[in-house]
Amino acid sequence: MQKYLLRRLLISIPVFFAITAIIFALIEIAPGDITDYFIRPELNMTDEAEEAIRARFGLDQPPVVRYFNWMLNVFQGDLGYRFTNGQPVAATINQRLSATVLLAGTALAIGAVIGVSLGIFTALRQYSLWDFSLTSLSFLGISIPSFVAGIIFLYVFSIQLGWFPSGGMRPVDQEPTLLTTIRHLVLPACVLSLAPIANFMRYTRFAMLEVIRADYVRTARGKGMTERRITWGHSFPNALLPVITLLGLSLPTLVVGAVFTETIFSWPGMGTLYLEAVNGRDVPLLMGMNLVIALVVLTANLLTDLAYALADPRIRYD
Amino acid sequence: MNRWKKLLIPCLMLVLLLPVMSGVAQDSGVLIGAFDVGPGGAPAVIPYMDTAGRTWLSKIWSPLVSWNADISALEPQLATEWSANEDYTVWTFKLREGVLWHDGEAFTADDVVFSLNLAMNPDAATSFPGFSQLSRDTVAEVRAVDDLTVEFALNSPNPRLPFNLILLWILPEHALADLNPADYQNSDWFFTEAVGTGPFMHKEFVRDQFWALDPNPNYWRGAPRLSGLINRYFADETSAILALEAGEIQFTYASGDVALGFEGNAAYNVFSGPSGVTNYMIFNERDERFADVRVRQAIMYAIDRQAITETILQGTAQVVPCIGAFPAMYPAAEELNDYAYDPEMARQLLAEAGFDPSTPVDIEVVTYYDSQFHADALAAIQAFLSEVGINVIPIRQDVPTYNSYFYTGEGWTISYRGVAAGFANFPFPFYEAGGQPTTDGAPLSGGTYQEMLDLIAQARVAADPEYTGLVQDICRFQNQNATEGYMWTAIRFGVASSGLQDFYWFPAPAGGPYDDRAELWSVGG
Repeated sequence: MQKYLLRRLLISIPVFFAITAIIFALIEIAPGDITDYFIRPELNMTDEAEEAIRARFGLDQPPVVRYFNWMLNVFQGDLGYRFTNGQPVAATINQRLSATVLLAGTALAIGAVIGVSLGIFTALRQYSLWDFSLTSLSFLGISIPSFVAGIIFLYVFSIQLGWFPSGGMRPVDQEPTLLTTIRHLVLPACVLSLAPIANFMRYTRFAMLEVIRADYVRTARGKGMTERRITWGHSFPNALLPVITLLGLSLPTLVVGAVFTETIFSWPGMGTLYLEAVNGRDVPLLMGMNLVIALVVLTANLLTDLAYALADPRIRYD
Repeated sequence: MNRWKKLLIPCLMLVLLLPVMSGVAQDSGVLIGAFDVGPGGAPAVIPYMDTAGRTWLSKIWSPLVSWNADISALEPQLATEWSANEDYTVWTFKLREGVLWHDGEAFTADDVVFSLNLAMNPDAATSFPGFSQLSRDTVAEVRAVDDLTVEFALNSPNPRLPFNLILLWILPEHALADLNPADYQNSDWFFTEAVGTGPFMHKEFVRDQFWALDPNPNYWRGAPRLSGLINRYFADETSAILALEAGEIQFTYASGDVALGFEGNAAYNVFSGPSGVTNYMIFNERDERFADVRVRQAIMYAIDRQAITETILQGTAQVVPCIGAFPAMYPAAEELNDYAYDPEMARQLLAEAGFDPSTPVDIEVVTYYDSQFHADALAAIQAFLSEVGINVIPIRQDVPTYNSYFYTGEGWTISYRGVAAGFANFPFPFYEAGGQPTTDGAPLSGGTYQEMLDLIAQARVAADPEYTGLVQDICRFQNQNATEGYMWTAIRFGVASSGLQDFYWFPAPAGGPYDDRAELWSVGG
């Protein structure tokens, strides 16, 4: 296992560099740069001012030089400053990352707990009214776009009922408390958890249906084991692999963010920040964000593989 | 199961009680608005980097002069009067007496000198020279004659210097003298300890969330009536509208179709005004077809602009005869061609220009606009032009992509776009060779109209009323020669809760700054 872990970590290093180089190249070949972002088509701007902006951001240097400069600074712990507003990239990412981890983490937790529970519940009642109803609802959960669900939730729970604020992370006219944070979190987290609930439910249901028909489950039942012990002691642990895969694949959402949900609920997360960075051709920010996202994806993949071995003793990496 | 029920009941109770336990505090003296939503907004910009967002900046900082309430004239702010020498190369500004900075220090002419030098400093690399056209090339010197008098010496005549100075926010020398200009844009000062002379003072800034201000008790027009002013940031207009309807904010920008839905609702007041931005189609005359005036005029006759503004745009735009956005810039109606909808005339002109009506031509129209207003407008233009054998293929690009090649003059045939075209920001450089960074050195459209260039050259150094006459002459020339496809100027809207008293908002391009008398605003009812 240790050898496997070491090998995976070593492979991750060139993969990481390749990711940053490819992303830098893609940004480079995209049309327009930060100077083009600053030119407001509806206002006059002189070409001298344009050149000054270009020089200020070092865009007069060759792309290779800029890439290596960026990499050199990263190794010194400096992600640079945003082109668009001069703010430090690391501090910006840190702030937005906290918001996204809070929102996406809550949504993922809700999705995993409710989704897995419903998956087990429906699998044990296959072809019942509960099964048909919840499976149909899961299709709705998967297919309803978050911007539609978001607007509906806002209209009902914020505008009509007035239970929850329409957006933001905290009240603007009082100090934030745990309670106000939860209150601001409820609606966006619920909207964002709709798809995970549906996905976890469907994966768990499918895996459980396969397992509860397995020979060893029939044997356990034949030995007179209680249904509760069969379900939680034998069926569920063996149905975990697909759930772990889904969980592993979902981990990057903790840092990537959710553009639509963040936009509708004015939640200052990574999704909207990424959009701002792309629209503004904010290269330092884009590179910084990609760096974080790449690291998390590589780590999540590794953790998922390791979790397989923990969940299923038959899987060995040595 | 009992254990689950024991857990479930408190959880349900907590969810039900949350809204009650943590309700938003209602302070009737605090106005919360979405001041940076919409085209005039730009969240968390700082002075001299403000491509927009000036409505909010003017709450903290003040310029020497600003627009008046409907941006039809200048309004004194930190300056009380100004005058120029005979050839407009030296301007003298008298400053307001008794103005205090938010920290209690006295405002003096040294602050003005410091501010202009900082704004023009190449190390600070601000956007100010690009937008104000004031730089070290055009300004020879700015000096404090005494504590309340400033003199600007220019390298060339500028009869409208006060208009250029609208963008010069005056910053406190005593607070920023030690700031290295190269660190200007990275400085936290603006969000942590900002000091201005405006009606409100910095209180708290939470990035991407809000900016809260306290009233300035020493404001030169008197202390504001509000006990607080908060600018809440939203990622889009829809979220802001929902917050308005939920009663969490009292003001936001609203696009035309949304604003019309609020009209007649007693709970809201709808503010509207001309955007000051003219929407038009710029023809690339490097394509020989558009160098022919008959083709350009045919396109004007083929599009029923009046019908589009009245029906599709529901009266949220007004047809323009030329690039000017305000009626004062137009000559008498009888001197203008109204290009009334006449598809027969359009077909005839196209035929005379060599177009074969039996063979439709495909023409790409690029735009950076992504709003429903412009999508509807472009769809209507597409439908009208198809009637005369021109198949419009609309292409929408984001601003950096559009800018990356539009100004080269290559790679586009027609662009549907906009330009701020008021008295002080008349887009002269668009029509002058080298005025914009086109690679071939030609004007943006690629077409050179010597008569118009002569008029522009005269207007650049003319003072009123001669200036107004020249602007009208330019309008007449543009209209008759259809140098571009002039469409309309949009009306922009803001929606405010009717509980606001003496509140005022105007959709000035980039947010002004204009005189909105924010010290009189209050929240009641």
